Amino acid sequence: MPPGSSAASLLAGLRDRDRRLIGRAITEIENDSRVGAELATLLQSGPGQAFTIGLTGPPGAGKSTLVGSLVPLLLERGHRVAVLLIDPSSPLTGGALLGDRIRLSRVAASDALYVRSLGNRGAVGGVTSAIRTVIAAMSVAGFDLVLIETVGAGQSDVSITAIADFTICALPPGLGDSVQALKAGIQEVADMFVVTKGDRPGADQLFRQLRATARRATDSQPRPVIVTSSNDGSGLAAVADELSGRSAPYEGALHGPEAG
Amino acid sequence: MTSATIRVLMTKSFIDSHDRAIKTIATALRDSSMEVILFDYQTPEDIVSAAVDEDVDVIGISFMSGGQVDVTTQVVHLLAEASADDIPVVVGGTIRPFDLEPLEALGVAAIFRGGERLATVAETFQSLALARRAHATR
Repeated sequence: MPPGSSAASLLAGLRDRDRRLIGRAITEIENDSRVGAELATLLQSGPGQAFTIGLTGPPGAGKSTLVGSLVPLLLERGHRVAVLLIDPSSPLTGGALLGDRIRLSRVAASDALYVRSLGNRGAVGGVTSAIRTVIAAMSVAGFDLVLIETVGAGQSDVSITAIADFTICALPPGLGDSVQALKAGIQEVADMFVVTKGDRPGADQLFRQLRATARRATDSQPRPVIVTSSNDGSGLAAVADELSGRSAPYEGALHGPEAG
Repeated sequence: MTSATIRVLMTKSFIDSHDRAIKTIATALRDSSMEVILFDYQTPEDIVSAAVDEDVDVIGISFMSGGQVDVTTQVVHLLAEASADDIPVVVGGTIRPFDLEPLEALGVAAIFRGGERLATVAETFQSLALARRAHATR
């Protein structure tokens, strides 16, 4: 037990990759306790940040399943991965059912993987107010990829794009007509589209609609659109390669002289 | 609500599809302002690493078919190895009469065999979490 841990000891624990202290550090940050606030200040001067990937999409799109399928592939590619799973807190009691971790039950525990479930504790926009500090803590603990699964988001919940280096919008087939793909909001600001449940009817049609809108006026290249299925594994390696490739320039920041 | 938010890991074997009990308890704990992490374990090691990573105040293990004593024994020992044996373990579900004595000998904090009022279950989790925290800050 780390009783009454000080901010300095939690920072040392993050640097030592002590799982118990990593867990406690996030709790203090989330609770915005005195120690948590001190730790947040210490983390501001930390080393370069991990490459942060945001995963958003409507409720039931298959975000958690996608995370569960992608994590082993990212670990295979040599990354140290922190996964932050955000679910809604009850506006009535403040309690929360954090169920996303179930989708990671088949991923074996590993030193290179840290998974944390977070209630959004009343924050709007699909993330939590403490998320930036939590990302900084993950960076100090030596994770070079931070994968954030947002609360199932609506069309205009774009908070994650201000926080993540790269945002994936996951969409399943069969949600609506082609006008949905043209709307403003999350689809306008996402960096990549992943069609989930690609083995279901309508996946090809959704792929074509997304590809048609994937190139914005300001883009030199169209944004990637990848069809995946966690049932048959199709498309998942392509998504992992895309993320791994995008993250490469950031890795130096963690292994540089300033890294703790 | 911030500093008092109690976090609980509620877990059952991945092989066990009977999730009605665990969902009922989890919902009752949520309604009592707790954050409940649902998790299906494959090995006792999974339970301990999830509990440490999630920094939970209490671990709840639900049993249907088997492993009541075996799994709980391993979890208790692995928690001690991880210097995390301050986290109380609660077991529930199909707990047979002959499981009681070995479970109590392991130092399990509470045993729910069904039929308990949900409010009582929630109060038990709450008081275990608060007792652990009071001890930690001493």
